[in-house]
Amino acid sequence: MLKIRAIKLEVNTSSGLFGAEYEFTSGLNIIRGDNSTGKSSLFQSILYGLGFEELLGGKNEKTMQSVLKDQVEFPDGKFHHVNQSFVYLEIENKEIVTVKRSITSDSRKSQLVDVYNGALLTGKSKKLPSRPMYIHDKGGASDNTYGFHLFLAEFLNWNLPEVVTTKGELSHLYLQQIAPAFIIEQKSGWSDFFATLPYYAMRNTESRVFEFLLKMDVFENEKRKQTLSSNKQQLTNKWNSLFFSFKKLAEKSGGALRGLEQNPSIINSVSSIYIALHKNDKEITITDFNEQQKAEFHQLEKQKTTTVGSNISKNEVELKMLTDKLSQLSLNYEMLAPELNYDNEKLKQYKKQLDAVQEDLRKNKGALKVKSLGSELPAETASDSCPTCHQPIKDSLLPSEIKQSPMRIEDNVSFLEAQKKMIEVYIEGQLNIIKEKEKKLVIYQTQLSETRQQIRDTKKELVQDERLPSVLEIEKRLNLQKKVEFYSRVIDEFAQLIEELKLLSKELDRILSKEKELPKDFFSSLDRNKLAMLQANFIALLRKFNYQSKPFEAIKISSDSYLPVAQKMVGERLFYNIKFDSSASDFIRCLWAYYTAIFKTSVTHQTNHPMLLIFDEPKQQDMAIGNFKSFLTELSQFQEQQVIVFASFENSDSSFAEATQDLKYSLNRINDKLIKPLKS
Amino acid sequence: MEEFLIKKLSFTKRPIPLPAEYRPMYKISMIVIILKYCCRGKTSNLLKLHLFSWALASEKNMKELRNYVTSNFKTDFSIWGIEPALNRALQLAVAENICEIVKGKNYKLTEKGDKFFELIQADHELFDTEKSFLSFIGKRHITENRITTMTKKWNLFYVEN
Repeated sequence: MLKIRAIKLEVNTSSGLFGAEYEFTSGLNIIRGDNSTGKSSLFQSILYGLGFEELLGGKNEKTMQSVLKDQVEFPDGKFHHVNQSFVYLEIENKEIVTVKRSITSDSRKSQLVDVYNGALLTGKSKKLPSRPMYIHDKGGASDNTYGFHLFLAEFLNWNLPEVVTTKGELSHLYLQQIAPAFIIEQKSGWSDFFATLPYYAMRNTESRVFEFLLKMDVFENEKRKQTLSSNKQQLTNKWNSLFFSFKKLAEKSGGALRGLEQNPSIINSVSSIYIALHKNDKEITITDFNEQQKAEFHQLEKQKTTTVGSNISKNEVELKMLTDKLSQLSLNYEMLAPELNYDNEKLKQYKKQLDAVQEDLRKNKGALKVKSLGSELPAETASDSCPTCHQPIKDSLLPSEIKQSPMRIEDNVSFLEAQKKMIEVYIEGQLNIIKEKEKKLVIYQTQLSETRQQIRDTKKELVQDERLPSVLEIEKRLNLQKKVEFYSRVIDEFAQLIEELKLLSKELDRILSKEKELPKDFFSSLDRNKLAMLQANFIALLRKFNYQSKPFEAIKISSDSYLPVAQKMVGERLFYNIKFDSSASDFIRCLWAYYTAIFKTSVTHQTNHPMLLIFDEPKQQDMAIGNFKSFLTELSQFQEQQVIVFASFENSDSSFAEATQDLKYSLNRINDKLIKPLKS
Repeated sequence: MEEFLIKKLSFTKRPIPLPAEYRPMYKISMIVIILKYCCRGKTSNLLKLHLFSWALASEKNMKELRNYVTSNFKTDFSIWGIEPALNRALQLAVAENICEIVKGKNYKLTEKGDKFFELIQADHELFDTEKSFLSFIGKRHITENRITTMTKKWNLFYVEN
């Protein structure tokens, strides 16, 4: 727990030493001061001493009132220039330390604090060992030796949790983010739940702070879920790049990849993944293809090398065959090329159509919107009736002589959407057709040049010396050998990729089963107990504070945001932020009840709550003194913990007496001015 | 020959799809945003309304008018479409008291028209292309004089042909 034992302000002015000193006890502390006596200065000094001044909307000394940094007015109308000022704050958890921080000082930066080991203010010894530390500087929360907030977190036994930032990285919660849950500042603190929470580019900070304060198990589960999802993301990336390696390999070998999806999935049998090649217009796996070639190669090797002479008649037949093949191939090529052009042109047309339909769709959706806006206006045309004669008219600007009736805009929109879908299907189909044809064209081209080469070779051999060995045969053998080698290499690479794929598949299996193990919602039964208790406490307090805007059955604590929400009507499905339906003063009651309920729930359970609540002027919105008394009564029941309330009690003794009657509390009264001359 | 023995044919008239430009409320809202974005004193003559209504009909038209303005009125641009649909929409708008006719020839946005504009403006996605085009053109570029100059060219054009 965090207990504020005492505070001391030291202000050196041109007319001597000024200042103030207050002590606080356990239980309810009331600091009573009339308006503009310096109540808020005292409150802000506590925040400043803890390095929490970001709750006031800034950093360092500029958040502080002028009485502590520019000039002191005492008595009314007489001003003294401030030369130097310090805040001393004595705090206790299991040990006692005293924090000293400058507001105005020539020799010390306001980021610097001294931490004294012991009670410098209330204790006898004024000679205590101290350590200098830094606030707000880079490293203020993380540097082991010098970060004051790191020290404070340790002092409070807080193991600050990690949360996901907007960039997706993990970062520790900051103390300044937790403080708005137990220190409520006057100027903006009463405008919303956790209103003064400083922004540090983190997601759902309020919920994380709440989970931390109430030490909920959901925090751990949430973190596990996030790690899993980031693991999954990494796996997907790896899978994708592996998929493209597969595809590239398939393309390199002139075939197509079969049996592998681009999205990760668990693979039970890798034999269904293969590269398919085309041979004689039939698909064949690359391994079978290579085996066939190998067999052919062995066959050739067994044969004796033949001479040119013995091959003449064979070559003549071959030449004729090759020439036929060449003319057939050229014909195929000539026929396919213009087809492809035509298909590309068709695709262009489809895309144009799609653009037009999309534009029309956009406009129609706009038309549908303005039609409903028009009935809001109201304009009679929007409900298809004539603004002059109030007869029904068609929803069209075509001349009335045209006897066509137009579709309703809603139908028109779905009509266009259907059209859009249809055209999109066309485009996809067309793209596939084009791809197939382009592939075929490439194959024709390579075959053409191969055949031409073969014709040239055959012709060359026909005019050569008849006794030479057949070059054609040798070349054929060499070519075949090269091909066999090439495909063997591809097959090897493929096998390696398959091994990688197996690993990824296993990893995916592991992640998926871990994901299954996660509970559906992340609350443990203890979490649920805490939430139920919080809700019960909250509603009980609202009842005591005389909240009236909503029936109590319509109010609950959201299990997403942990904030109070309400139904528009009892029994309705949707819940809204309770702020929307509460009157201004009822919303203040909500804030009282919410912070107090968190506190009360934390007291019962073992939590991270610092067991400290500080309210600056909680009596907002002309709250009735009776309600305020109920609030103080509630707060006075926390005898073991510490509650500090700064209030003016309408600047009246009778209000004060009425609000605090029969209560157990310690009073600190600020008479006329907070900062007065100190007797030194 | 059995399949030719059809005894009776019947036709059912179905509603036809209609481009958004022919929807009264769509056109009225175009009039409203044109008057608000591009017309001084929220008042315009008929020809100018036709010009913008024509421009908003397609990307191509918008581009042409935009080029005309950015080239400081140097590009060859003089003709735009006049559509009866806009006239009908204007009649409806006047009857709805969204516009009023001032000085017998100009159309001016009324208070109700202003309210309608606010409703349209509140939805940021609604007519975003149109809004950004109109605010690009603004009030200062296409003035009444400009329209007159353009239409004068128009007369010449016809004379020459």
